[in-house]
Amino acid sequence: MNRAITTQRRSRIVGAGIAALAVAVVAGCGSSGGAAPSLGTGSSAQNVSTLVIANAVKVDTLDPEANSVNESIWLDQNLYSRLLQPNSTGTGLLPDLASSWKIASDGLTYTFSLRADAKFSNGTPVTASDVVYSIKRSRAFSGGWGFLLTAVKTITAPDAHTVVITLSEPHAPLLADLAMYAYSVVPAKLVQSQGSKFFQHPVGSGPFMVTSYSPDSEVDLAVNPYFYGTKPKIKKVRVLIVPNDNTRVLMLESKKADIIENPPGNLIQQIDANPDLNVKLFPSTRVDFVQLDEHFKPFKSQLVREALNYAINRKSIVQLAYQGHATAGASFMPYKMQYFDDSISPYPYNPTKAKQLLAQAGYPHGFNAFLITVSGDVAGQAEAIVLKSELASVGINLSIQSYELLTAYNKEDNGHSEMGERYWTNDIIDPDEVATFGADCQGGANAFNSYWCNSQANSLVAKARAELNSGTRQQMYNQIQQIVYQQSPFIVTDYSPYRYGVGDWVHGFQVTPLGNYDLSLETLTVGSH
Amino acid sequence: MTRFGMLPRRLVHLVIIVFGITVVTFFLLRLIPGDPALAILGSNYTHTRAVAIDNFLGLNKPIWTQYGVYMDRLFHGNMGFSFFYDESATTVIVSHIAPTLYLVCFSAVLAALISFPVGFIAGIRSSGVVDQISRVFFTLSFAMPGFWLGIILLLIFSVHIHAFPLSGFGSGFFGHLYYLFLPALTIALGFSTVLVRSLRAATITTLQAEFVDTALMKGIKYRQVLWRHVFRNSVLAVVAVFGVNLAYLISGTVLVENVFSLPGLGTLLVSSVSDRDYPVVQGVTLLFAVLIVVINLLTDVVQAALDPRVGQEIGE
Repeated sequence: MNRAITTQRRSRIVGAGIAALAVAVVAGCGSSGGAAPSLGTGSSAQNVSTLVIANAVKVDTLDPEANSVNESIWLDQNLYSRLLQPNSTGTGLLPDLASSWKIASDGLTYTFSLRADAKFSNGTPVTASDVVYSIKRSRAFSGGWGFLLTAVKTITAPDAHTVVITLSEPHAPLLADLAMYAYSVVPAKLVQSQGSKFFQHPVGSGPFMVTSYSPDSEVDLAVNPYFYGTKPKIKKVRVLIVPNDNTRVLMLESKKADIIENPPGNLIQQIDANPDLNVKLFPSTRVDFVQLDEHFKPFKSQLVREALNYAINRKSIVQLAYQGHATAGASFMPYKMQYFDDSISPYPYNPTKAKQLLAQAGYPHGFNAFLITVSGDVAGQAEAIVLKSELASVGINLSIQSYELLTAYNKEDNGHSEMGERYWTNDIIDPDEVATFGADCQGGANAFNSYWCNSQANSLVAKARAELNSGTRQQMYNQIQQIVYQQSPFIVTDYSPYRYGVGDWVHGFQVTPLGNYDLSLETLTVGSH
Repeated sequence: MTRFGMLPRRLVHLVIIVFGITVVTFFLLRLIPGDPALAILGSNYTHTRAVAIDNFLGLNKPIWTQYGVYMDRLFHGNMGFSFFYDESATTVIVSHIAPTLYLVCFSAVLAALISFPVGFIAGIRSSGVVDQISRVFFTLSFAMPGFWLGIILLLIFSVHIHAFPLSGFGSGFFGHLYYLFLPALTIALGFSTVLVRSLRAATITTLQAEFVDTALMKGIKYRQVLWRHVFRNSVLAVVAVFGVNLAYLISGTVLVENVFSLPGLGTLLVSSVSDRDYPVVQGVTLLFAVLIVVINLLTDVVQAALDPRVGQEIGE
């Protein structure tokens, strides 16, 4: 029976043909119907008017008071302006909406004069009452950044171009705080009438405005025609959300993206090998550290904490976890910021000394501990392996526990971590923020959740906040950094840079240590490619 | 029992299953350490700020009260409010449905287009060239994880040949098909393996059935016998496999959406779990659960429509 069939079935390969045809038809229809996105038509012969950036992370919101995702914060900065803005090195402030400001001699009254030509992207002027409304709104946001402005007593607008802020006590970081993204200026009337819907199609006074907003796939920007500053040379920016590391790299390699955020460490060489592409590293305010939780008995001893610092070879961490593209860590404050104490140098690698210190502390044979890492954090996993092998040589047996991000943070914050990998990045250029979180155990974050407490550090943080003389502040912050360095409530491993894959055809892309690139988008050009 | 006599009882099952899903997702989700306040605050987490956020979101109430509120809203068609998107969870989910639905349907169609001819030919000419080649090819494609196969397809068709886009969803019906071709192919290649193998096996079995001999002896042309008797009976066996695996295919979209940067439900589910955006996770899980139950039900209905005996068996 089978045989009978075999002799008769001849010409039925048509089926496969149909399938192939259908596939071709679908593909064919597609290419005619849904044209591939053009990368913008050149405004001049050489330059292209559209910049395409591929980010790894979706946009959380365009509402500056509620932003917490760095990528979204950096996006926001292109849309809104603030009274002042950080400069390109992140060490000083530039005027933005405020053209000038006066500080009363007692340091309690700040008077800002607003520029008269500032307009929102819908053409309405930016007034002092918009500024007052925006600052008050962000300050009142529950879970937001109001705690930075606790010293502020009143915020008023005596006329359309003047804003006056009075304080109950001197507060040195005030200008830096006001330059922070959370205190971006929004049009009061529109936000009041539209509520949270406003932030789907926000209107700001920054260099760009949103033309299309899909928070987890693409955000399109166009130049704000009413922008008062330098008109950007590019006309449009497309921000694509591409979470997969490999896909982002492929987009850059095939020139479908001009800039990609955070190319994975293992592909850096591959990108650099392409003559048209570069991996650019920008110094950041990121500090990578390992918290030593004092709920765990050995870490109550300063000798043990010191021993760990000597037992770790920061060079191997920089080499193995960051492919050499990081700087060994010393002070707990970011190395690219005001008041950083550069006289502090990283603990040298000295396992013999580490063993001595451990013996002195009563742990001649070491102890067992666990280290929490975030799963999917490639650099963090590599760092954990280095830590494990190096601590093993001084008798400390480390077990690595990997958790999903929020689970890891939850354990670390609540004193269940023994050891945990964490990092810090600044939101303002003033050291008050990092000192409050990292060195003041009453500052709300239990000294980066190490539960270490030092009354001298606490009072210095408060004093430095109220001190207006920058020389005296420098001394105070040096002292705080020295205390933290000596007592090591956490091991500062390294300062790692921001990493971007950039096409050679993009000229002038720069990222400030705070992570902002809005200033560079005002001047960069995109060549044909 | 009529053909579709099982329908009412199956619909009751659906309600019970959906209720079970709400219980499981609601409580399991709250068992994971890490809360929305932590997700919102990130490295700037302080206890005071977290308490403020918990109060605002109603997460300070007892968990039973929270479940009560959730179920009450659900009965009124309200899935709750997304912390992350600052919009109702229903709106968020609806805005992410299209890419996933397109992807699932497109890959199901592609899988059928690929596997029906290949499986059928491999069956009627078992051990022939098509059979041998397809065996090797589909075993390989089945063994390749979707995220890897996807990258390889991108490398070939987008980076080197520039035939298809690298990421995104496109616009308009044909635009969507164009953008989704590679992701759909990625899923379809893995999915086809099961279909090809089961269609091949079913075809071989059907060819040996006596009604095929009878038809041939009646003098009906061989082609017609293959088409009317063999193919129809073989495909019937594959419908069940297709239905069951369609559910598997939905879960496959999660990884593929990530590789191709598609703003679909899979991406939404994963990111919402990381954000502890409870209402969205609950909503998407519920939707997936309902989809899978409905697909299984539809599979039975289709089988019953194709073969009355099946409906009676299921009904009994």
